[in-house]
Amino acid sequence: MIFISHVSAEEQPCSSQALQTLYDPKIWVTNQSGMDLSEAALGNLRFTVATVWVKSKRRQAAAAFPQKLVDGRQTVHTKGGKYNAHAPTGLAFSRETFAKLTPGPFLQAHLQQPEPIRPNGRSLHAFRTPTIHTGSLSHSNGSAVVRLGDTAVVCGVRAEILLAADIPHPPSEDTSEDDLVERLGLLVPNVELSTGCSPDHLPGNPPSTSAQALSYRVLSLMHTSNLIRPGDLSIQYMEPASDDDLPDEGPKTVTKAFWTLYIDVLCIALDGNPFDAAWAAVISALKSTRLPRAWWDPDREMVLCSPLANETHGLRLDDIPVASTFDVFSTGSALKQRSEAESWVLADPDGFEEGVCTETATVVVRSEDGDAGGITRLEKSGGGAIGKAAMGRCVHMAQQRWREWQGVLHGG
Amino acid sequence: MPLDTSTYALAHLRLDGRRWNELRRIHGQISTQAAADGSAYFEQGNTKILCTVTGPQEPKRGGGSSRDQSNEAKVEVEMNVAAFSGMDRKKRARGDKRVQEMQYTIASAFQSTIFTHLYPHSTITLNLHVLSQDGSLLACALNAATLALIDAGVPMSDYVSACTVASAPSSDQTLDEADPLLDLNGLEEQELPFLTVGTSGEAGKVLVLLMETRVQVARLEAMVSVGLDGCRQIRGILDGVVREHGRKALESRVS
Repeated sequence: MIFISHVSAEEQPCSSQALQTLYDPKIWVTNQSGMDLSEAALGNLRFTVATVWVKSKRRQAAAAFPQKLVDGRQTVHTKGGKYNAHAPTGLAFSRETFAKLTPGPFLQAHLQQPEPIRPNGRSLHAFRTPTIHTGSLSHSNGSAVVRLGDTAVVCGVRAEILLAADIPHPPSEDTSEDDLVERLGLLVPNVELSTGCSPDHLPGNPPSTSAQALSYRVLSLMHTSNLIRPGDLSIQYMEPASDDDLPDEGPKTVTKAFWTLYIDVLCIALDGNPFDAAWAAVISALKSTRLPRAWWDPDREMVLCSPLANETHGLRLDDIPVASTFDVFSTGSALKQRSEAESWVLADPDGFEEGVCTETATVVVRSEDGDAGGITRLEKSGGGAIGKAAMGRCVHMAQQRWREWQGVLHGG
Repeated sequence: MPLDTSTYALAHLRLDGRRWNELRRIHGQISTQAAADGSAYFEQGNTKILCTVTGPQEPKRGGGSSRDQSNEAKVEVEMNVAAFSGMDRKKRARGDKRVQEMQYTIASAFQSTIFTHLYPHSTITLNLHVLSQDGSLLACALNAATLALIDAGVPMSDYVSACTVASAPSSDQTLDEADPLLDLNGLEEQELPFLTVGTSGEAGKVLVLLMETRVQVARLEAMVSVGLDGCRQIRGILDGVVREHGRKALESRVS
């Protein structure tokens, strides 16, 4: 498993040489697949972690930040020039002070420029490029590490056997297959945020409401999208023909046990947008999950598993839904007319933007006729700035994101 | 029995094919997360630990008159063992005593190594994430924490390196010629009496020594001396990791 971080040119937003930095980001030169070539030669179990030089991004944005917005007065517009931290006399703050004291106006100043840009250097609709590595944890049936900018998430899938005889209220015969996974609780996700991943989530504290909500959102999305078929998770047994059977009846197949998948998501570092990262980690880990071959032994009345690695089988995940989260920054307030308020939709918010915005929307998209199409889920909360038109644009961006993810999920 | 005494005595090879004084495949990398003050990732065989350091910073909880006014920084350790890390999936309850004991051991080891007098009334927090455990958990955690602290730039007197040593089974229990085995994996830890030793510096000052199983006293000295030598080897590896990182950083600046 390889952790990649890269300083890549495609993450640079619109203005180009304007963002030539103080600090030349060609430290970790990566090839196409983003791996250090020497590391690529090692086997799968090698877990190599590379550095994220995100600080260079912030300096890029700093270089683009017009001097005049920091000084109290009009100075020569030095957009694209080196940012001078020693401002001339007068009421002037350094960039970092401005961000800390008044985060809202700081963000607004960035967005109100003729070419809107965010403090982290991305354009309004730019998502962070994800990197995924699967199958590195030896004790888990499936595992994945997802990095979305500075947000890093590890997911491990463990499979345990649930005997059909142990189910207290077995589902009735006419329960449809789609409901079976939900009824029996065969998928158990758990998103753990209290790991010290950010100053708001210190270890030892009970999970906050947002963390609990994350676990539930992942669970409900897995159920409503019918991600896993119960056929993949059931261990069946063909009963031998007995004398009681009618002659034209074939041998009966009975489900003797089920695999229960415990999906544990651990957040290592949080810089905004935990849901997208957690969902990506869950689907990557499920894609890489290998379940051993299991069968019911009638003599010992128990389930036996084969320890051979070449007899494992994976889960069928044909149609993978992809989640995209958006935050809305709005200047509206109770003291202003509604028409005076301006709002901007920011795709894939990072930690700073999440702290400033109250309104958020998540769109989950899956494929339709081979291309991005069907909306699986729409969630929106926190405010009223997004209307129908803006929502349509968000869905469009989510579909674009779906296409980007297909390359990463199937190529990685 | 996996560690049948006769098997070892025949070829003097352990289950994974190592000899008595061979370490597992060790890999370390520092500065893995730019968002933290210092971070490191360390692997010893299949034991994989990620460590992040924040600090020195103001103490988060209370502070003021409730804390003892010692003019030194306080080292706090939080260890987070992932549910998928062990052989069985097990969610650790908060306040698991075993984890608390390890946290305390690591904190006290670094309390004496770090130059805490330079940062009075502040806290240095270490967050350890155990992604996979296959033996030598405490030793690997100490090594990962050392690398992360070096990445954070916290001044210390020397590297803290640790490893585990066991006493090989021998058919004749009275003989004290049994080989001490270096760097145990999960299976060996369950079967054999072992100790964890953590040292600091080239001279091998012992900071941590933990043993929870019974062994004959006559074997102890050999085990400890093999452990000290193993720690010296690991110290060399940690030093190599730090120097490699420094070399890359320097090269990038120059070019």
